[in-house]
Amino acid sequence: MLLKTLNFHRFKCGFAPVLRASRLFSNSPPSDVQQPSDESISGKQVKPERKSVVPSNSRFIYPEFLPDPKIEWRNSLREKLERMDMIQRRKHIDIPEFYVGSIMAVSSSNQHAPNKATRFVGICIQRLGCGLRANFTLRNVIKHVGTEMKYQLYDPTIQKIEVLRLEKRLDDELLYLRDAPNEYSTFDENMEVEYLPEGAPVPVNPEMVKLKPRPWRARWERKNMKGLADLGLEDRFYERAEELATPWEKYDLMKQYRKTIPEEEQKEIFAEVYSELHEVEVMRKKLKRKKVFIKPTKNV
Amino acid sequence: MSKIMKRTVFDLPSSFRITFGGPMVLQSRTAHNVRAPRIKYPLWYLQRERAKDDQQLTGDNRAFVKEAVHDKFGMPAVIHGISTYDVRSPLSEDSVECLNVEWNPKLQRTGLIARKLGNYPMWLDNGKSVLSTLLQVIDNHVIKYIPPGEFNPPRKPYSCPNHKKPLGCLLVGAESADPQYFTKQYCGLFYREGMMPKKYLGRFMVSPEAALQPGTPLLASHFRPGDFIDVRGKTIDRGFQGVMKRHGFHGMPATHGVTKSHRRGGNVGHGGEKGRIFPGTKMPGHMGNRYRLHKGAEILRINHKYNVIWIKGIASPGKTNSIVYLYDTILPLRKHKSPPPFPTSKVADDDQLIDSYKEHVYKFTDQTITYEEDK
Repeated sequence: MLLKTLNFHRFKCGFAPVLRASRLFSNSPPSDVQQPSDESISGKQVKPERKSVVPSNSRFIYPEFLPDPKIEWRNSLREKLERMDMIQRRKHIDIPEFYVGSIMAVSSSNQHAPNKATRFVGICIQRLGCGLRANFTLRNVIKHVGTEMKYQLYDPTIQKIEVLRLEKRLDDELLYLRDAPNEYSTFDENMEVEYLPEGAPVPVNPEMVKLKPRPWRARWERKNMKGLADLGLEDRFYERAEELATPWEKYDLMKQYRKTIPEEEQKEIFAEVYSELHEVEVMRKKLKRKKVFIKPTKNV
Repeated sequence: MSKIMKRTVFDLPSSFRITFGGPMVLQSRTAHNVRAPRIKYPLWYLQRERAKDDQQLTGDNRAFVKEAVHDKFGMPAVIHGISTYDVRSPLSEDSVECLNVEWNPKLQRTGLIARKLGNYPMWLDNGKSVLSTLLQVIDNHVIKYIPPGEFNPPRKPYSCPNHKKPLGCLLVGAESADPQYFTKQYCGLFYREGMMPKKYLGRFMVSPEAALQPGTPLLASHFRPGDFIDVRGKTIDRGFQGVMKRHGFHGMPATHGVTKSHRRGGNVGHGGEKGRIFPGTKMPGHMGNRYRLHKGAEILRINHKYNVIWIKGIASPGKTNSIVYLYDTILPLRKHKSPPPFPTSKVADDDQLIDSYKEHVYKFTDQTITYEEDK
């Protein structure tokens, strides 16, 4: 009986395929073309219904709202206070939906820069942490030097976070780009935003990365990465990797359970947070529309 | 009381114990300057937990007992985010306002009992990030005050046992609980003061001017943002540990002919006249699970709704969700410069003020931090 329930639970909340999650609720900019007309027609009537419905993909869009599952570090009040602070910060900055593999631009205050601000464009290679500690790493090649910047998501010195190209890669971490030739992580600094149609699923970029020859920063043949092309190693490397592999771990239900926040708790957390997040979203959209509307009047 | 007497009389130090079948020998193998701790318990050290006893009550009877508890002490309520009972001791009425004593730096105020909630980052106005520890003041009430003349602790301070500082003792309790789950003698501590039994007790030495009536609630506003506090708690129990973890030794190399001693401490003694191991040499042993004091932690922010204090740094002892004791700091340069709430803060009537911050701490309701251009 226990096994049955656990099994059910894992499929429901553990590692459901990310792709299927439809983008019911997106932060992407193109929305201001279609959305205004929809809302202006039936805005107030639909609103209360929407509030009660928390999109099922919230845990992918706002993963940092889920606390660290390590039981020794958990405290419900701290988590609540943390979420309140996060929402307060989100009222001042638009933190869009993004994934590892998306190409982003971050403008942040910098005391030592000439204009007191810097803008960094790069591919997101890692997203870590929960709560106010949530952070992500951007990588780009600047003047033939691989450069990485790690940003705290809720750092008040961050002025703007833009997603230039919203997409996913085959892996959850792209740290192997450090061992790949520079062209894999070179992105134009003046890149323009590529819009996706409203409601479209996040595209997955199936690009395979061909690494430089060894030595590497990690033994990539042991990491079971999907986005790596043939590594061109001798057989003994693969044999050793097979020896050390732990393919049974994905069947260890208790391990998966301890690694994740149970679905019921996730629902509770997002039910608490979602209405405010949604309000912030709606406010932002309204402001955007206002800006669009004001500009032509000035010209006239 | 008789139990305490029993314990105190029969738990004599081993050096005084009589050995039968031979002459009485007094042996003293400990250093002279360290007195062996004698186990004597204070007045309020009473057995707290009751043996679990299924009384086979019917549902109706159980409901009746519950009702009787609520009639006597008050209805269950959530106050400052903690589920407790809405109990008001008649003694606490206007107890804070009554005393019109001016604060001066020599007076010692009471402390608080708090729970460590964990830590998360805060930012300063200049964009710098600091880690903070959250401490929640959990439903604290004054239980008892013992004036200086009457207070005779079983354990005197080691340094100066006959020293008579005119300090009284304030017994503070935290987290009310249902009296059904405690022994009668433990409940008796609180009964006369009209309080619910508390899960945690703490003793604070206070000046007689800072004494408080039993039943007075103590809040996080007892301290102000910008104040410095000392945090006392029990460190994480790490068990028997080697010297590398316990004392931060470097160990020995992994290679170069080293065998079986990569994590050992190395030499511990000398030769010749000093051919012995000196007392106090750092060696492997039990690590943690002892009371330690984190001195001079600065308060960055206080949430009055949930009674939470944010302090700078993550050095306060104890696990997440463990109990810590908060005091005004003893560091002379970090003591209060201006009068703090004395003897303690009043219960605020308006619920408007939720968060108060120290100067130059970034509030999450503020705009993004930008720097001005140099001229």
